[in-house]
Amino acid sequence: MDIDHTTGLKRRDLLTIGLAAAGVSALSGCNQAIDRVVGVRPPNEPTPAVRGPDRRLFDRIAFGATAPEQSRLAALGRDGYVEEQLRADREEPWVLRAKLNRLDVVRLDGYELGDLPEPRILEQLQQSALLRAVYSPNQLRERMVDLWTNHFSIYVPKARGKFLKGRDDLEVIRTHALGSFPDLVKASARSPAMLGYLDNQVNRKGVPNENYARELMELHTLGVDGGYTQRDVMEVARCFTGWTYEQAPPLVQIATGKTPVARGHFRFDPNVHDDGPKVVLGQRIPAKGGMADGERVLDILTSHPSCARFVARKIGRYFLGEAAAQVEDEAARAYRRTGGDIKAVLRPVLSSDAILDGPPIVKRPFDLVVSSLRALYADTDGRAVGGHLREMGQPLHEWPMPDGYPDRTAAWTGTFLARWNYALALAGDQIAGTTIEWEGLEQAWPGGPAAVWEQITGTPAPAWLRGHDTRQAVAMALSAPEYQWR
Amino acid sequence: MAMSERRDCEGYRTWERGRTFDDEASCSVSRRGVLIVTAIGALGWLGRRSALAQLAVAGGPREGNAFVMLFLRGGADGLNLVAPYGEDAYYRERPSLAIAPPRDGRTATANRLLDLDGFFGLHPSMGAILPLYEAGTLAVLHAVGSGDRSRSHFEAMAAMERGLYRNPHSLPSGWMARFLEATPARSNSPLRAVAMGATTPDIVRGASHATTIPSLDRYRISSPLKDLSSDAFVEALGRLYANGPDEVGQAGAETLHVLKALNRLDPAAYRPEGGADYPPTDVGQAMRQVAMLLKADVGVETAFVDKDGWDTHVAQGATEGWMTGLSSELALTLRAFVDDLGPARMQRVNVVVMTEFGRRLRENQGLGTDHGRGSFAFVLGGGVRGGRVIADWPGLEPTQLEEPGDLRVTTDYREVLAEVLETRMGLADPSSVFPGVGRARRGLIG
Repeated sequence: MDIDHTTGLKRRDLLTIGLAAAGVSALSGCNQAIDRVVGVRPPNEPTPAVRGPDRRLFDRIAFGATAPEQSRLAALGRDGYVEEQLRADREEPWVLRAKLNRLDVVRLDGYELGDLPEPRILEQLQQSALLRAVYSPNQLRERMVDLWTNHFSIYVPKARGKFLKGRDDLEVIRTHALGSFPDLVKASARSPAMLGYLDNQVNRKGVPNENYARELMELHTLGVDGGYTQRDVMEVARCFTGWTYEQAPPLVQIATGKTPVARGHFRFDPNVHDDGPKVVLGQRIPAKGGMADGERVLDILTSHPSCARFVARKIGRYFLGEAAAQVEDEAARAYRRTGGDIKAVLRPVLSSDAILDGPPIVKRPFDLVVSSLRALYADTDGRAVGGHLREMGQPLHEWPMPDGYPDRTAAWTGTFLARWNYALALAGDQIAGTTIEWEGLEQAWPGGPAAVWEQITGTPAPAWLRGHDTRQAVAMALSAPEYQWR
Repeated sequence: MAMSERRDCEGYRTWERGRTFDDEASCSVSRRGVLIVTAIGALGWLGRRSALAQLAVAGGPREGNAFVMLFLRGGADGLNLVAPYGEDAYYRERPSLAIAPPRDGRTATANRLLDLDGFFGLHPSMGAILPLYEAGTLAVLHAVGSGDRSRSHFEAMAAMERGLYRNPHSLPSGWMARFLEATPARSNSPLRAVAMGATTPDIVRGASHATTIPSLDRYRISSPLKDLSSDAFVEALGRLYANGPDEVGQAGAETLHVLKALNRLDPAAYRPEGGADYPPTDVGQAMRQVAMLLKADVGVETAFVDKDGWDTHVAQGATEGWMTGLSSELALTLRAFVDDLGPARMQRVNVVVMTEFGRRLRENQGLGTDHGRGSFAFVLGGGVRGGRVIADWPGLEPTQLEEPGDLRVTTDYREVLAEVLETRMGLADPSSVFPGVGRARRGLIG
């Protein structure tokens, strides 16, 4: 049972007190103030709409603007704000921690989740991603988590994925999101979720399974034109034989003479490792290397010039869309200069002019939903709202192929109907577990439907909007073409 | 075989037969089901006018044939779906996965291949389409594929959806989009090409008059707002999307147009004919909706349906297991579709089933197979000279395989498509859709 060390109270008690306190009038003012800062309630005072370059900055490095973040940007200036987002060291608000603590996938590891119905586990994984993206002040990190989750995409419904993805999310993606790309790849290569998804646990001496080896090169590091051959795929597969995860319970492991490893954790099995000599991308890997073979491959791949370019292009595309080519060279150089430091690659991208005045990027459903919840200061549990994400075609962790959800505009223009129905449901309080404080919103946005439109879209409202009320204006603004771009 | 019942997001019960590991059912429609894509995006980019610019009232029956592409994503194992039991190498290289030949007395009938022509046999789970084969409605092809040798799903699918042989990125548009441009429009319907699913597939990229629909039943606006009816909201959307010059603006406008066209249908009340029994799965329901649209005369000329999950790297299963569930579903779906449309309508419809590549001859130690090259294809429907397996069979001995051990491709998939489209869909110049396509034809249509 985890204890909070400052108070000596069990976390569960703290949570109860915290939630109860939110309802107690003596403390409610204090907590409401916190909620307003976090963005769970609309601001206390009227706030100007965020427009122009500021708006674009928040749409790109964050999931859209909120009034508290706008104040912070004003205080720090653009460079200062971006540097702070790169540090990603702002404290996660208690409201977010409280919401996450209700999810077993955050508190429990792997097979401990066995008692939960399986659909619920996947749903909770989706909830946790949504909640963090909506409420975390470290928005750039949440953007990078979105990027890397798709880059190292795992189809969670396969096999044991639902028990394993939670730890992958924390230890692979979130830990290294703004760190070192080589470390990120190395963590992913040891991730049971990834190994299980790409069948590496049956990659054995004698008959290698190429699935992980191929996607490691094609999708994770070098790109399909990165200069590897079919032969390389097979040699890399041989290097990763034995990289697996433990599936047996501890007693069975002991009975079979192994040193016990927690179920669902990484294990290198030397008995199935192909220990012969190999050649990967022209480099010889001598025999009897054991686990070092795979580690050597990861070094070769992450220091390959194609990897620098591939990562630079991926990050460039995510933040600059079609304008990515402008910064690709500089970003690739930054990768090579720093041995793959993600922040170093990000800096030329984020400081490029194209981020403010380049062509817009279509919002994928996750972008749309998260930005709308932020824009309206909604209080959500992230649960039922995920059903709308599914209708729009982006239920998290359910993309079947390892390449992740597409980023082309054309891939997403077919589901506008679902977006419009979502906007109506949100405006009509029809999404269970998601509430908007309508009166507070109207106070923060005085000026009727036109003000509502302008706050949400950052553009002047059409004249005919005049006859409508706040909710109708919200539904229309969220559905408008202006709001589908970031 | 284990049958597990799942719910998908619409409350359909989906049945999965014979999965050997527990697989969470999601109601994801991301790549399954029929995609009806509103790919207006490329309009400005191609310099074509949108369907809206040629506003005409869609109404009245349209003559002409229809074409349905059913694409199996993941690399479906042609060597087990249409097994060359006449090859020794087939049994030698697949000690666990090979399926017993049709007359193997030591094996139960249910686990033997269904004989097609004395050399090839159909996977026993696909019995539902055997009558179609025997009646000549279904032709089977083999050693079909593209020239893409990367064995990457994405490259191979891109090649096949863009109608290219290799160099999948040399053209950004989908071949179905080019087909729409190359043939005279029978109408201004935004549903000339229809794809069911949630994300727009490459095959219609660049198309005007193409629509993506995740599901017909849910293709409507519902407003819970007091004082704003669904109709009023749709009208407001019409104003918001009236002038959009960009992909989003155009796509929104076309979505509204399709909404109006489809509101005339009542998908919930649709009853399949001919005793058709569609599997209650994504693909089964998708094809059911295609049938509905074809019968409803809303101007559908081509449709695209895809089905994921064929990437059987591990525990593929021979006559039970992962792949068997998929192949069974495929056969039942095709049979239901043919039954539903009925003999008269099927004279005017063709269905082609393909996959981006096949799988390696030799099974791997996970009792699955890795990415290969040549695979099978089906051509069904009107005019088809079926009841045969058509292949330039290269053989499976080591010297006959493509490095490192795959069935060679001896039939360019584009020649198959070209033949169907030029004989059945009025495509005068196939090279406008498939640049550089050869002239060889297999005599599929007669």
